[in-house]
Amino acid sequence: MAVTGRLGLLAALGVIVPLLVGRGWALLAVQGVLLLGVVVDLALAGNVRALRFHRDGDASVRLGETARVGLIVENLGRRRMKAVLRDAWPPSAGASPRTAPLNVPAGERRRVEMTLVPTRRGDRRAVTVTVRSVGPLGLAARQLSRPAPWTVRVLPAFPSRRHLPARLRKLRELTGQHVAMVRGQGTEFDSLREYVVGDDVRSIDWRATARRADVVVRTWRPERDRRIYLVLDTGRTAAGRVGDVPRLDCSMDAALLLGALASRAGDRVDLLAYDRRVRARVEGVSRTDLLTSMVQAMAPLEPELIESDAAGMVSTIMARVRQRCLVVLLTELNPAAIEEGLLPLLPQLTARHLVMVAAVADPRVDEMAAARGDLAAVYDAAAAERARADRRRLTAELRRYGVEVVDAPPDEIAPALADAYLALKAAGRL
Amino acid sequence: MTATTDIPTAAQVAGRRWRASRAVVFTILGLVAVAIGLAVLRPATSAQFLDPESPAKDGTRALAQLLGQRGTPVQVVRDTAAAARQARPDSVLVVTRFERLGSEQVDQLRDLPGSLILVEPSRDALQALAPGIQRASAGFSDGSVAPSCSLPAATLAGSVAFHRSEAYEAPPTATHCYPSEGLPRVVHLPRGDRTVTVLGSGLPLTNRYLAEAGNAALALNLVGARSSVVWLIPDLPTPGSRSGDVTYDELIPAGVKLAVLQILIAVVLTALWRARRLGAVVTEPLPVAVRSAETVEGRARLYRAHHARDRAADALRAGARERLVPLLGLPRGAAQDPAAEQEIVLALAPRAGWDAAVVGWALYGPAPADDAELVRLADVLDDLERKVRQS
Repeated sequence: MAVTGRLGLLAALGVIVPLLVGRGWALLAVQGVLLLGVVVDLALAGNVRALRFHRDGDASVRLGETARVGLIVENLGRRRMKAVLRDAWPPSAGASPRTAPLNVPAGERRRVEMTLVPTRRGDRRAVTVTVRSVGPLGLAARQLSRPAPWTVRVLPAFPSRRHLPARLRKLRELTGQHVAMVRGQGTEFDSLREYVVGDDVRSIDWRATARRADVVVRTWRPERDRRIYLVLDTGRTAAGRVGDVPRLDCSMDAALLLGALASRAGDRVDLLAYDRRVRARVEGVSRTDLLTSMVQAMAPLEPELIESDAAGMVSTIMARVRQRCLVVLLTELNPAAIEEGLLPLLPQLTARHLVMVAAVADPRVDEMAAARGDLAAVYDAAAAERARADRRRLTAELRRYGVEVVDAPPDEIAPALADAYLALKAAGRL
Repeated sequence: MTATTDIPTAAQVAGRRWRASRAVVFTILGLVAVAIGLAVLRPATSAQFLDPESPAKDGTRALAQLLGQRGTPVQVVRDTAAAARQARPDSVLVVTRFERLGSEQVDQLRDLPGSLILVEPSRDALQALAPGIQRASAGFSDGSVAPSCSLPAATLAGSVAFHRSEAYEAPPTATHCYPSEGLPRVVHLPRGDRTVTVLGSGLPLTNRYLAEAGNAALALNLVGARSSVVWLIPDLPTPGSRSGDVTYDELIPAGVKLAVLQILIAVVLTALWRARRLGAVVTEPLPVAVRSAETVEGRARLYRAHHARDRAADALRAGARERLVPLLGLPRGAAQDPAAEQEIVLALAPRAGWDAAVVGWALYGPAPADDAELVRLADVLDDLERKVRQS
């Protein structure tokens, strides 16, 4: 039950009665009238228990976009329901309106339209629907909270998809579907064609040239049906914010671009999210469904504040993929974590697979390294130089193991990773 | 983004708040104006009002001297006990400033011998000293008022200028003089062998108005037919002496108390209305916000806290070497190789146009001796890098 402001106002106006009469019973009479009004209202207010809630609308939305969820209120009671309704969502779901007026005649249904502008990735579940059913006098109301479950999955925003067309164009140049065909360093023989200026002289097929009066070059098609294994590190290093975004979100963005590109290039893409156990896995999905599956798998991922288990990660990868593939490890070049965890296990991994490590660099470190002026700034710069030196050392060490390293700030990591992949493909190293 | 356009400006917010609250503000301002107006319009009584020893406008020294010249001395007494000592059967007791008298003191006055003149008596005093007479109304009057009664003192004095005066309801046995809308301003009431005269206004007695119309005559006639005048103008009751036996509680009408109770009930109901939430508070586990550069910043603060100039300088020099060495066409490994010092310095010096010793100090020198030198080192390294890049 709830009282309304009108009851308070009425009680305040009731001051006149004892003021004029000056007897105790006048006060009691005022209270009696108010109580009577409240009882009448409570008795005649629409029954909240007789309401049925149904939902419809969007079940998933990209971060930064607007989802619409409808709440359909069905009144099975015998009285008209005049009420205020609040459809409660977690704050980061960005639900509006906060409250909505509701007027449902008996036996009918009404739709309340909710607009959700989520501010965070993940699953957002509707909490409860609270209805305050006001009586005919507007003095008191019946109030009840009822569940009306619905989940909106907030998917990663994938802002780097704008880089996709340019990377696809490069890919087409490689695969020969483009006018300016470049000789790919593939292993699959494609065809012979006439030499044009700019072709690698090493690709000239002398036997064919001898047979004809023209210089002929061989072209290869870049290999297809290679396997790309994307590994997202969801451990503590992924929780650090670069700018205002967790490092994990930048890694996801890069993984999505690479996944989209590789699936178009005809490669098979799998995804694994791992810290101390498998958080998400996308394997053996057809090319058309790949992006959707990846996005769905990534949506609920949150960085865990624990040290990642590199040994477990490597053994999981080894167990999952038998044949050679490109393992793309999206993690952070954190000296402690990498040197103690990953480095000793790298030979195992590199023996069978091609390994690529992609790390998001923090522009704030570069900003600090450029700081000058006062003592604090110079110490900042020194600490930043130290951090960059550590990173360089680690990169060099990884490269010694034959690992490809992509280290770029958050807005460049996705295209940089895609370019590294295209470079590998062009070089026929997959 | 549309979000930025949705955020109202400070002026819009201020305007919205002003529109929402202006009714309340105007109401409060109006109440304050009314209160100030009432305070200004209220007739103020000064401390000397009706004091026979005061020559001020409100005093009554003129009247006292007139009486003295006519052979009726005025004895000014400041408390009821003194008044009781001075009262004689043939004297007249003029009582003023009733607001300073408690009910006990009024009771003391009741049994005194001699006649009484009550100037602007209070409701309680009227009940005790002149039973049957009740305060009816108060009003202003311009000009003078004719007596229209048979009281000799009044008929002899003729019309009197009262200005502001109370009017009374009196029993028919009393003499009603100077009526205002039928109700007398002066009531003369015989009580046994003595008389009680109730005067609705003290203003005609004051120095300021004594000379107007028949004011002085009326005062002299009322007072002066006796052997002596005892003029009681009570002092303010001293704090602690319980002169009033009415508590504040008794003064408040029952209706007001009940109304306060009703207001409390209204406040509680309003609080209940506001306090009742529409559903529970929704909690949400939020991810931690750890800045990625936090460890780097922490390391900078540690350097600073411990004045680790050597380590800071090492880091800055190593960073600079790392960037300079590729420009010279040397292998990257040379940057951190102490054996390559000579080679790097000699290659850099001509490109920067600096002395080799300066370049050597900048890239391989000893740790800075103080903070200023560290800051300078950072600037020198920047300079060197810029020069080499431009060369």
